[in-house]
Amino acid sequence: MAETLETMPVHEDVGQAVTVRRQVATHPVADPAAGADDVHVWPHLVYREFLCALAVVGLLLLLALLFNAPLEDRANPSATPNPAKAAWYFLGLQELLVYFDPWFAGVVLPSLILIGLMMLPYLDLNRGDGPGQVEEPRRLAVPFFSAGLALWFGLILIGQYFRGLSWAWYWPWENWNIPKVTESFTWSFPVWLGLPVVLLYGAAGAWLPARISPRFLRRLGWTRYLIVSVFLTIAAAIPIKILLRLLLNVKYVLKTPWFNL
Amino acid sequence: MVAATPVEGTQDRRPMSVGQRLSRRFFAILGLGGLAGVVAAWSAGLVRFLFPRILYEPPMNFVAGDPDAYRSGEVETRWQKDHRVWVVREGEELYALIAQCTHLGCTPTWFADEQLFKCPCHGSNFTRAGDPVAGPAPSPLYRASVQRGMDGQLQVNKAISENRPGPRDAAPFVLRLKSGQRGERSA
Amino acid sequence: MMENEEPPKERVVKPQEALEGIEAGKGFQERLIHKVTSSELWRSVIRHGSPALRRNRALTVISNFFLHLHPLSIPRRALAFAHTWCMGGITFLLFLVLTVSGVLLMFYYVPEVGRAYEDMKDLQFAVSFGMLMRNLHRWSAHAMVVAVILHMMRVFYSGAYKPPRQFNWVIGVSLLVLTLLLSFTGYLLPWDQLSLWAITVGANMAGATPLVGYQGPFHELLGARVDNDVRFLLLGGTLVGQNALLRFYVLHCIVLPLVAVLGMAIHFWRVRKDGGISKPL
Ligand code: HEM
Ligand code: FES
Repeated sequence: MAETLETMPVHEDVGQAVTVRRQVATHPVADPAAGADDVHVWPHLVYREFLCALAVVGLLLLLALLFNAPLEDRANPSATPNPAKAAWYFLGLQELLVYFDPWFAGVVLPSLILIGLMMLPYLDLNRGDGPGQVEEPRRLAVPFFSAGLALWFGLILIGQYFRGLSWAWYWPWENWNIPKVTESFTWSFPVWLGLPVVLLYGAAGAWLPARISPRFLRRLGWTRYLIVSVFLTIAAAIPIKILLRLLLNVKYVLKTPWFNL
Repeated sequence: MVAATPVEGTQDRRPMSVGQRLSRRFFAILGLGGLAGVVAAWSAGLVRFLFPRILYEPPMNFVAGDPDAYRSGEVETRWQKDHRVWVVREGEELYALIAQCTHLGCTPTWFADEQLFKCPCHGSNFTRAGDPVAGPAPSPLYRASVQRGMDGQLQVNKAISENRPGPRDAAPFVLRLKSGQRGERSA
Repeated sequence: MMENEEPPKERVVKPQEALEGIEAGKGFQERLIHKVTSSELWRSVIRHGSPALRRNRALTVISNFFLHLHPLSIPRRALAFAHTWCMGGITFLLFLVLTVSGVLLMFYYVPEVGRAYEDMKDLQFAVSFGMLMRNLHRWSAHAMVVAVILHMMRVFYSGAYKPPRQFNWVIGVSLLVLTLLLSFTGYLLPWDQLSLWAITVGANMAGATPLVGYQGPFHELLGARVDNDVRFLLLGGTLVGQNALLRFYVLHCIVLPLVAVLGMAIHFWRVRKDGGISKPL
């Protein structure tokens, strides 16, 4: 049923025929075993793509006709709109900046997230997806990635729907335009408490994964294990610090003359 | 290192001539090194190119009226619109806060009933003295230098600023109004 | 292997027969089509016969610049919408829409602090279909961020980043960053309150970079000041002003799109070289 290029008569153009034959030789058209189930890209894929593109462009036009892009007042360096909200995709970052100093929330953490994402394929040794292999359950990768996404989307939702005048917390049934009285001021852990807490937390983060699953350490080897546990530890610290601030008004867990956490 | 290794493939055991020493490899290294140097110099120049040497930015200083006319215990917000400064008078002391959040630079709003500056961007709160009491701001608001000019008017200069308790509570970041105006003027 | 085998016999097709199924001399219409499609000019541009015929389908894909991103044939399962959600393709489509609408907006927009905002107003109220074009550009930008995130999610959950596709995932992450940077730089251009404060906050974050930002930890070590640090480099000044607007404009309209196009070209090329898109689970 399925035509292969060899059986297919070609255009009489000789140059073209050579190109085609070369392509056949260097690119096996498809997995020979699955060949019978192959379909030609033209028209099967191309018309699907075309329909998809039509649908997307149609949707965009509809959006553009129905909703106007916002344009606020002219830029004014001496008055900030209150509250000042970033575009939704940066709201997660804006909300993180409430809990961490800018060097961490704005620079170090985003860099770590991107580096972590880039390293993911090299750290995830569960490679069952290759040909002829059965994939094992992805017990760490999927929950970790999902939790990260959930945190990110959660922060975006908080920024969008729970923050009002002066970036104070407003419940959906409260009116944003009524100023909220700041009820309690923030406080920080003293160094004698903060330093041991941070050190113990880091040590626990390095030790716990291996404690829970010794196989995990054996499989990854020390280098990968340490990298993964550093990412896990830092990631888990984020919701912890957020809760400390929201519930107990803790500003910094660790204060040093050079930086605060 | 006088005795050089013989050139491979020859029976010649004499020390290498200058020509032999300046081998292909030497020139390759020289060439590549030179190229790397040029690329490095160009890159450095490129980075420097991107830092402007002349700026056309608004002036940092302005005249803020008669200092004695400010009322004690009040935060004067009338200069915020054009100069991004609040003038505060506490008894006989006067200072000018730069209306720029020390967190990430938004302009906070003065809430007189709570006696707090609150920032719309991430919710920092500052007292009238400029100290952060809630939200993420890491340090107090800056105070601009305030001086009485020759004409008796208040001169505010944002280019000179200070926010550390101690230095910020002394001249030129605080202007004493009654005691010894003459002394102030010469300062 | 291939080399040892007899090359497949090639059937010589006479020029008159080139357009199969349509025999020359049938009716006026057919003769016209034949005349046009067998002319040298036509055949120098379109190198394949009508793709309505099975045997020309492969040639269509190979010899068409725009289609040759694709392989000749793919497993039937890969067609399923549920496999890719079409999200990579949609992201690319949105990038194209953004390029076209963005270039059109450039005809009316001057990156000058005294004019930018007024130009936006003109686009909204004085330029025919200006509002539509601006809306299209804005909503496509939002949609592209959504699409690229969904694309990343589908690649992650289908495990498509595993060998041999590790490096294409890395390129993908760079494309994600580029998409966000394009959004960020575009945000300043309308020069309204949202623009100014978003970029003020964003740039001050750069100013908080350890070592090289004037407000970052350890900034004293390298002597970072407000007028020589990374924030100054980004803004071309100590505040979000004319230089910043110009820099963001150039980045948004030229530098970042060029880099993104390069990244996408490599990304697509690697999808093919890594054996086409991964098998559905
Ligand atoms: C400008 C942004 C991007 C564009 C235009 C783009 C486009 C595409 C396209 C058209 C495909 C073919 C399959 C499909 O449609 O799903 C693809 C595959 C792929 N993309 Fe992207 N992509 C972008 C960003 C990303 C990101 C952010 C990631 C991950 C972090 C990524 C990782 C991958 C990988 C690993 C594949 C191979 C998937 C497979 O073989 O199943 N790409 N991309
Ligand atoms: S800029 Fe004021 S709280 Fe962030």
